[in-house]
Amino acid sequence: AVLVLVHSPLPRLRALLQRCWGRLERGLWPAVFGSQSPPWGPALAVQGPALVPQGISDAGAPSLLETVVWMAAPKQRRTIEVNRCRRRNPNKLIEIKRNIDVCPECGNLKQKHVLCGYCYAKVKEETRLIRMEIYKKEGGPFNAPTAETVVLYEGEKPTEKDEGKRIIERARKRPSWFVQN
Amino acid sequence: MRLSVAAAISHGRVYRRFGLSPRSRLDLLRNLVTALVRHERIETPWARADEMRGYAERLIDYAKRGDKDERAMRMADFWLTEKDLIHKLFKVLAPRFQPHAGSYTRLLQIPNRDGLDRAKMAVIELKGNPLPPLVRPRRDSDRTLLNQLLKGYRQDVQRARGT
Repeated sequence: AVLVLVHSPLPRLRALLQRCWGRLERGLWPAVFGSQSPPWGPALAVQGPALVPQGISDAGAPSLLETVVWMAAPKQRRTIEVNRCRRRNPNKLIEIKRNIDVCPECGNLKQKHVLCGYCYAKVKEETRLIRMEIYKKEGGPFNAPTAETVVLYEGEKPTEKDEGKRIIERARKRPSWFVQN
Repeated sequence: MRLSVAAAISHGRVYRRFGLSPRSRLDLLRNLVTALVRHERIETPWARADEMRGYAERLIDYAKRGDKDERAMRMADFWLTEKDLIHKLFKVLAPRFQPHAGSYTRLLQIPNRDGLDRAKMAVIELKGNPLPPLVRPRRDSDRTLLNQLLKGYRQDVQRARGT
């Protein structure tokens, strides 16, 4: 409740009070009062409205605490001991391989379930040379023969098992790892 | 009871995904099968070799039916893009594998590829090919305990048979 009371012993003070009050009222109810206000005088105290309507949309500038996006940041420096525990945890270290063996043919290292790299390179080179001979014999593309093939090295004669087969000759001694059947 | 299949679950799917589309996957595998029939030993990524192995062995099973069989000829026609290999398949590979019941190919892993991708590579070959062997079968050394005992037993049997 707002009590509206105007009382003044002196006319000058009363005028001053009226002007002050008018300005205040104009500030509080700008819509109601235009350029001039009706004359005020002594009046009975009446109960005014409970809520003095304030400016609804005067939030002012939102403070920095509300506009900024808050993100997580570490509070304390991680000590080197804690860092070491994290970095050297077994799940971060590289797994040790226990499936490495020595190739019985050449002595290089190989994984147990994988072919030896050196021996495979050796066989690959020999197959490349054999395929060059085959290509020379076939003469061109798309001339696949309709008979089996057999590879013979220097000084070897075709046996009775190689009866109807196409013979590919390689101009070198038979390598020890390529056993003739 | 789940009536629809969620997009990311692939339980029980046996076929790998290759290439740009299912048709592209079949074309890729078809090229590999053609290369295998032509060269009898090829080196490719392990996943492709593994996928191709089944198709190659089924193709040989079809070829064993003989070239008079209509389905066998149609299969060979689709799977071998180079048509001179159809002759090779029916005249060379089918007789070669006639005594075998299955498993006409051998798949072996080789060291990872040298390029940037370090891909798991494999070499797949038809058994009985004329090329040098990749793996030499190793017999156990004669110096092992079991082999020495067996050798002694064999000598005893020989001596008993002699006397």
